[in-house]
Amino acid sequence: MLLRGSGEHTGDDYDLTAIVAEGVADGGVAAGAALAAYADAFFLDGSGFAAARERLEREVGKEASVDAAAVLAIFNAVVRIADATGIPLEETKARMSVDIRDALGLEG
Amino acid sequence: MPVTAGTGETLEYHRAPLPVRDELVAAHQRAWERLRGPGEWWTGTMRVAIAKETRAAPDCALCEARKAALSPCAVTGTHTAATDLPEVLIELLHRTRTDSGRLTRQVYDDALAGGLSDSEYVEAIGVMATVIAIDTFCDAMGIARHELPAPAPGDPRRRRPAGAKDGLAWVPTVAPEDVTEAEAGMYDGLAAVNIHRALSLVPAEVEGFFDLDAVQYLPDAVLRDFGTEYRSLTHAQIEFLAGRVSAINQCFY
Repeated sequence: MLLRGSGEHTGDDYDLTAIVAEGVADGGVAAGAALAAYADAFFLDGSGFAAARERLEREVGKEASVDAAAVLAIFNAVVRIADATGIPLEETKARMSVDIRDALGLEG
Repeated sequence: MPVTAGTGETLEYHRAPLPVRDELVAAHQRAWERLRGPGEWWTGTMRVAIAKETRAAPDCALCEARKAALSPCAVTGTHTAATDLPEVLIELLHRTRTDSGRLTRQVYDDALAGGLSDSEYVEAIGVMATVIAIDTFCDAMGIARHELPAPAPGDPRRRRPAGAKDGLAWVPTVAPEDVTEAEAGMYDGLAAVNIHRALSLVPAEVEGFFDLDAVQYLPDAVLRDFGTEYRSLTHAQIEFLAGRVSAINQCFY
């Protein structure tokens, strides 16, 4: 996972379980809780999305908020490509990420 | 979601509440232009209809009932369609738009048995993904979606990569070593990992979708360049958000 790679480069020990945690946590990522809340509100709680977007903008700024919208959107699309074509995760990636996937409780 | 007024010919973000990077605007304009023109297997009219049906799927009562069911196959009925596309295509688009995490190989097999070719299937998914990427961006920005473009005339090009093979995915794919002169450039700037290969039966969809991906996410070449930040979000923030979105969508690719 690239988040782990980023942390190894910067010396940050990110808590990857925050990605799948119930409720929002930052995992050691700057503004991580606001980013998680932003994604949760968009997909799971539409009524709270405006507030989540405003919080994110306060914490990361206007330009980064636009970047967040772009990232959220492209990952909402790429999942359809993966799911509809039956493309598998590469064996090497699966092996490299087995510890993370176990820790996160992910299958597949 | 509302759509912008206008002819649909020009996509712009002048009225967005936050400044949108020029390269994002340009990438979305390129995608909209691709959308309206003939593809490899669908005409411009059909491609825009696929986009319209993609937008309509979340409002389909049958899809809502299936989404709530333990198994989507347990619920039968008729989709609430927005177009006169063939039922087999509407079924594919609605299922993929509203419940992609529970798609199985059977969905692909049923689509082929229902009359779609494997290439038509892949191009439809590419068009859908493009529209979702841009519509979701607008939704997340809190702005109206763009009016769909007017279809451009012309016939599909009908070129199938000679090196496409079965085995990797449900759909045939093209390995980097099997790329021929006809589709040279399909993997330019890409590592040709499996997700890049997913749409490779229709090379124009690979180039089109990952043109968007490079601007909305990051270019492939800099994904691991952790020493440089290319966006206003850091690498870590981008990956954290991407991971959260993927987890919500149950995408563990």
